[in-house]
Amino acid sequence: MTTAKAKRGSFVPNFTSRLTPPLIALILAIVLFLLGGVISPGFVNANQAINIVRLAAFLGIIAAGQTLVIISGGEGIDLSVASVVTLGAILTFRLTDGQDALILPVLGLVMLVGAGIGLVNGLGIVFLRIPPLVMTLAMAGVVQGVILQVTRGELEGETPDLMRTLIAQPLIGPIPGVIFLWIGLGIAMWLLLERTPYGKMLFAVGINRTTAMLSGVRVPLVVVLTYAMSGMLAAFGGFVLLGFTDIVFLNLGGRYLFPSIAAVVVGGTLLSGGKGSYWGTMSGALVLQLINSLLQAQGLPEATQSIILGVVLLVLISIYGRQRAFRL
Amino acid sequence: MVTLSAQHLVKRYGGVVALADGNLEVQSGQVVALIGANGSGKSTLSKIITGVVAPNEGQLLLDGQSVSFSSPLAARQKGITAVYQELSLVPEMSISENIWLSHEPMRYGVRLDRKAMQKRAQELLDLFKGTIPASLTPTTPVYDLTPDERQIVEILKAISQDPQLVIFDEATASLDSAQVTRLFELIEDWKSAGMAIVFVSHRMDEIFRVADQATVLRNGSHVGTVDIAATSERQLVQMMIEGAAALEREAREPVAAGAPIRLDVRDLTTEKLRGVSFDLRDGELLGIGGLQGQGQSDLLLAIFGAIPFQGALTLSGRRVHFSHPRQAMKQDVAFVPGDRGNEGLLLIRSILDNLMLPSLREFGTPLRMQRARSEAGAVSDDLSLVMASLDAPVNSLSGGNAQKVVIGKWLLRDPKLLLLNDPTKGVDVGAKGEFYKLLADLRHQGTAILFYSSDDEELLGLCDRVLVMHDGRISAELAGENVTRENLVAASMGATHHDASHHKEEPTA
Repeated sequence: MTTAKAKRGSFVPNFTSRLTPPLIALILAIVLFLLGGVISPGFVNANQAINIVRLAAFLGIIAAGQTLVIISGGEGIDLSVASVVTLGAILTFRLTDGQDALILPVLGLVMLVGAGIGLVNGLGIVFLRIPPLVMTLAMAGVVQGVILQVTRGELEGETPDLMRTLIAQPLIGPIPGVIFLWIGLGIAMWLLLERTPYGKMLFAVGINRTTAMLSGVRVPLVVVLTYAMSGMLAAFGGFVLLGFTDIVFLNLGGRYLFPSIAAVVVGGTLLSGGKGSYWGTMSGALVLQLINSLLQAQGLPEATQSIILGVVLLVLISIYGRQRAFRL
Repeated sequence: MVTLSAQHLVKRYGGVVALADGNLEVQSGQVVALIGANGSGKSTLSKIITGVVAPNEGQLLLDGQSVSFSSPLAARQKGITAVYQELSLVPEMSISENIWLSHEPMRYGVRLDRKAMQKRAQELLDLFKGTIPASLTPTTPVYDLTPDERQIVEILKAISQDPQLVIFDEATASLDSAQVTRLFELIEDWKSAGMAIVFVSHRMDEIFRVADQATVLRNGSHVGTVDIAATSERQLVQMMIEGAAALEREAREPVAAGAPIRLDVRDLTTEKLRGVSFDLRDGELLGIGGLQGQGQSDLLLAIFGAIPFQGALTLSGRRVHFSHPRQAMKQDVAFVPGDRGNEGLLLIRSILDNLMLPSLREFGTPLRMQRARSEAGAVSDDLSLVMASLDAPVNSLSGGNAQKVVIGKWLLRDPKLLLLNDPTKGVDVGAKGEFYKLLADLRHQGTAILFYSSDDEELLGLCDRVLVMHDGRISAELAGENVTRENLVAASMGATHHDASHHKEEPTA
């Protein structure tokens, strides 16, 4: 966002300097979609488009907190998102037990639990100086363990009908509610990052913590808050995901861990922090989902899919590396 | 004997002319100062001579023969080397390994001769004996060194190559005055041994102390070469400044009698400070001097709440003890750090974002961007900030303009107590002049200013009262006619000044 804006003010209004990573990702998503039509006729149609955006929405929502954490820098990363997604879904499944009336209070509780887990992550990272990778990985193990311990593998409960209706089924015309939810989250995240003191401080903390501190930013507070928010958003992601899957299983969120980081990076957010946007992550989620759908449509074996996905990510990141040489 | 002559060198980067007409003559046994404002082309000229960049036009004559260097190594083989301000040392390696990097003494031509390396490195370190801690040995890793010690290693590294010509590019900026004095003694020795020396510096007093001649560049062109002995400081400054509009320093003036005390500091102690006491009145510009690293930064950081401390701070009559800069900022205290890139700016963010950063909460949620933009615009107009737009990234600015952003972000908050940590380091003469003017304006508005400078001239020219620090204490308080170079230097070296006041009196609690 800011880069696009900053570019407007620079003297060299050439095309390459405006071609920021989020924009590259978005163009790539469109190209991939059209490519899908060439490879397998019938791929390009409205229903398919809606389906892909719907699937990308779940990844996008789960990757929202990851975006914030990675922007915060200091080797920031949240490896506990997957477990928290699973926990969020299981809690919703169990506590609502299919009752529509309980959706809102349970959602509140689920997000609070997620925020609590993130808070512990943040406190450990800031005050015990545990590296984020280690802290959140350990937390992932703890959360997974607690889930096993408490449920003993028996997952009882039910998904409320209303959640299914609002999230997974067509809401307005053929478009399911989750897409509106995702767009709403996109707007909220833009406001958070670009139009609140917290957002500006988060970028400052990600770029240079000394400058931030000497400019009056309470760096530890911003970092702890960011991890808490990541936990909260991951739990929310689990809640939303349940509306789609209908049932829960012990590794529900597991397959979102790697993509949640990949979507952020493909969207142009620097892993070193201080630079990025949520609309980039949204584009990144679309790209990943499209690659996934395309490869699946080809009927390739799982292993081949995973190889191609990895290569595509490497190519993209190296292109971004070149971009930065143009002084982004 | 060696003679180097650069004739009509031109260097263009794309459409930008970095050097339009670079001329320089230097020979064995001579020190030529290369001076000019920032952006005058002196770095480019040095880089051509040392083979870092190739010129587009012009020629370089070494002992009358035309030469062109394809790399710094090629220049080094001809005996030409440079000491830069940006350090090129490898932190993980020892002093000795850094000194000998890429020209290691070999035994039988294959194996590193470690013994010889260490012995020779020790001899080199001994050149600065007394101005660096005795604990430094050839095996000390560079990451353990302070910036001034690193700079010295950098100098020794150049000297270890037995060069015929050395360019010192702002190599004294991080040295303290004892180290500078020692370096100048060494330069005298090297001179008489036949070395040719080019000395690039912003510091007028150093140029007059060390150089035989001065070559002045302005906007990439050679303005003239003069004998230092027959030239005044004023004449040199006039050569450097276009239209000969020499800078008038703001005359130093005492603080208005009876101005209220803004800040009272008693027995301030930190890891480096060992009990510092003084007071500062509204509208006063109080200087802090002394060699580098005597606790000046700690003093400013402690008052600003950025590092823990013991002692009593009283701000406008109220006892305060800030544990975070945020609290100090709420009491209208501002701090301008010395290291722009690492402490003052978010380099990849826009000028607007940088100016807004300390005041974000004042713009509310959602941020009132319109108001922020107009306030930031007003401040950048006041500072005559040269920029493409407020949305341009701050790393697109020149050094002087970037420093204006570091100050501007605090002017947005209208500070009553301004803490300055060596704010003019690496800033060109023109921008310095504007900065002095700004300080005078702020004083007249009643802002209390605590001003640490590593440039003695600044303190002598601007401050009516100077606290000289040595080893974590105030070794002398100079005021009025006692603010002289002699007193300042004596107190910096730790000499006990006859009327040095240590503020022994206890606060009446």
